[in-house]
Amino acid sequence: MQSFTNEIVDLDSLPKFEDIQLQKPHADYWKIICINLLIFFGIIGIGAIILICFVEEIRAQAFLIIGVYLALTLILFLLFRASFKKRGYAVRAHDVIYKSGIIAETTTIVPLNRIQHIELNEGIFSRIYNLGSLQIFTAGGQTGHLHIAGIPIDVAQGIRDLLLKKLDIIENQTAEIEGHE
Amino acid sequence: MNSDFSKPQRQSAYGIIVMGAHTTFKLIKATIFLFVLAFVKMQSTYFVYLILGIVAITLISFLFAYLWYLKFTFFLDKEKQEFIVNKGIFSRDQVTIQLDKIQQVNINQNILQKIIGVYGLKIDTAGAHGDEVSIKAIDETSAYNLKEHLLSRANILAEKPEFVVNNAISEETPFLKISAGTLFKVGLTSNYGQSLALLAAFFYTVIYEGRQLLDAFEVDKNQIQNTVKGMVTLVSVAILVVALLIVLLVINLVRTFYKYFELEISRHQHSLLISSGLIAKKNTLVSPNKVQITKYSQNYFQKKMNMLNMSLRQAHFGKNKKGHEMQGNTLEIPGCNPLERDELLKMILGKVPPIGKTFIPDWRFLNLPIFFKMVLPVIIFLILAFNIPQIKPYIFITGVYLCIGILMIYISYRRHRLTVNQEFIIKKSGIWDLSNEIVAPSKIQAITTFQYPWHKGVDVGHLSLHTAAGQIHFKYGNYTEIKQLVNYWLYQIESGNEDWM
Repeated sequence: MQSFTNEIVDLDSLPKFEDIQLQKPHADYWKIICINLLIFFGIIGIGAIILICFVEEIRAQAFLIIGVYLALTLILFLLFRASFKKRGYAVRAHDVIYKSGIIAETTTIVPLNRIQHIELNEGIFSRIYNLGSLQIFTAGGQTGHLHIAGIPIDVAQGIRDLLLKKLDIIENQTAEIEGHE
Repeated sequence: MNSDFSKPQRQSAYGIIVMGAHTTFKLIKATIFLFVLAFVKMQSTYFVYLILGIVAITLISFLFAYLWYLKFTFFLDKEKQEFIVNKGIFSRDQVTIQLDKIQQVNINQNILQKIIGVYGLKIDTAGAHGDEVSIKAIDETSAYNLKEHLLSRANILAEKPEFVVNNAISEETPFLKISAGTLFKVGLTSNYGQSLALLAAFFYTVIYEGRQLLDAFEVDKNQIQNTVKGMVTLVSVAILVVALLIVLLVINLVRTFYKYFELEISRHQHSLLISSGLIAKKNTLVSPNKVQITKYSQNYFQKKMNMLNMSLRQAHFGKNKKGHEMQGNTLEIPGCNPLERDELLKMILGKVPPIGKTFIPDWRFLNLPIFFKMVLPVIIFLILAFNIPQIKPYIFITGVYLCIGILMIYISYRRHRLTVNQEFIIKKSGIWDLSNEIVAPSKIQAITTFQYPWHKGVDVGHLSLHTAAGQIHFKYGNYTEIKQLVNYWLYQIESGNEDWM
């Protein structure tokens, strides 16, 4: 107990992850989200229209369906907007921080020496806007992965190369330590 | 068999018998009900064909076993520190396992292997593809030699080449032994859930297959249904419940004895050797530093009997998270007393975790479970009850449900604790089984914190620690304290270069 209270003093002087200024995803990424949402609602909308046109019983409820459909569209757009605003990432010397969430604010931190591998993905729409998404995998299973979307492709490549370089350094260090033993 | 395993070699020729019998058994097990059906429905002249079929299956199984034996070779590449297995009857598969990726080596013996006098050896890796290697027949000395070679790679590098572990089965005195008496107590007090599932699966099979048999025998179903209905009275239901409980206990006991009979743990150079089993003896070797989460749990009865269950969880990857797969990576040690627990903790963690600072969740912990598990179901039930007269007499159940439920939620809240000291994180939780999960900060892979917007004002938040063997959650803690802890753990992980595997 005594020794731990000693540590508390240290705790306050430690670098604080919550005070880090986070990088926002690129503004163009919102457009990609919109495109994806529009495609999604487009397909559902076409389905609904076909149903309304061809099924007699459903036609009576056409206004209700259109109302629900519009409300759902609006809500989803608002939710995605909120989640887009909340997203942010930062690369520190020893870890990667990613913040996200629609309602709750989730912050995940992966120390660099726990990264298993890194993936850089470019989707069709992302490519139009020169964006990419970075996936960072750890041994902590599905929930321990980071998926940072909407980073300008050159920045993403920069981060990937930086992380890979650091991974190499860390691996070499451990290899050396093991060699000395 | 040479003892350094540097040249490709086959396993013991007995492997043909083991493998052949294994395949035959599996095939017959899969088709046994078909055979029974056929036996009932067919005239006796066809009986010969039936026998011929079984003989054919056996022959084919053994032929395949022989081919498999011819193609299955393994060797140890010392330069690259790899264990290489070539196999495949028609295709050619090569499995390469890096020695430092090996998590545990199991040496097993089933009844057949016991009769022939050989052992089976299984290698568990932490690889994402989970390509396990299983050698079906190997003699005892070779098995233990190979196991030593696989697990103590650091030693092999350091030690002189002429050093061969001949006395690998040296009689190390086990520091932990579970007696039959203790096992009896364990069987009475734990793992009800698993036995229940087993019982349910058994009944399902019996009913399903029974129905098919009835169809085959063309028995009048109505007659049976009437008999069953006549038997269902209050008394008979009570007797049935008691009988089921007794069956459950007996199954639990048998299972416990089967799995953990003569459980012994001893120290072997750099690893722990855990051996147990009634009919099939199972030996498992674990390196302590590969254990990710160490857990011990105790319920009320066990506390009175002064014993607890321990489990060591190792890394598991891949999407295949079936029950048995997880089991393979979780080692259960039931029925230790507190002294033995401390001894084990010392072996795995280096020391018994000292008392640290305890963090308590906020009372808001109670809100969501009470709403979703208590208030909402009760409201739905009440609405139903007031509309359907048949249910109305049972309204009193809601009172009982509320009382028990709220008590359980409150207990879980009181027991939800996180204790932190410099070297360890201990998460306590549970309602009936009070469990302690111990993890060292160096085993953490990633940390997640999250907070609902409406908890910002009261400074309440949640924490998840992701390890390679699962997550540890701490809910409704003081968010400022959680953030402080996270910063502290990050500092510990990032400043040290401690390996997590």
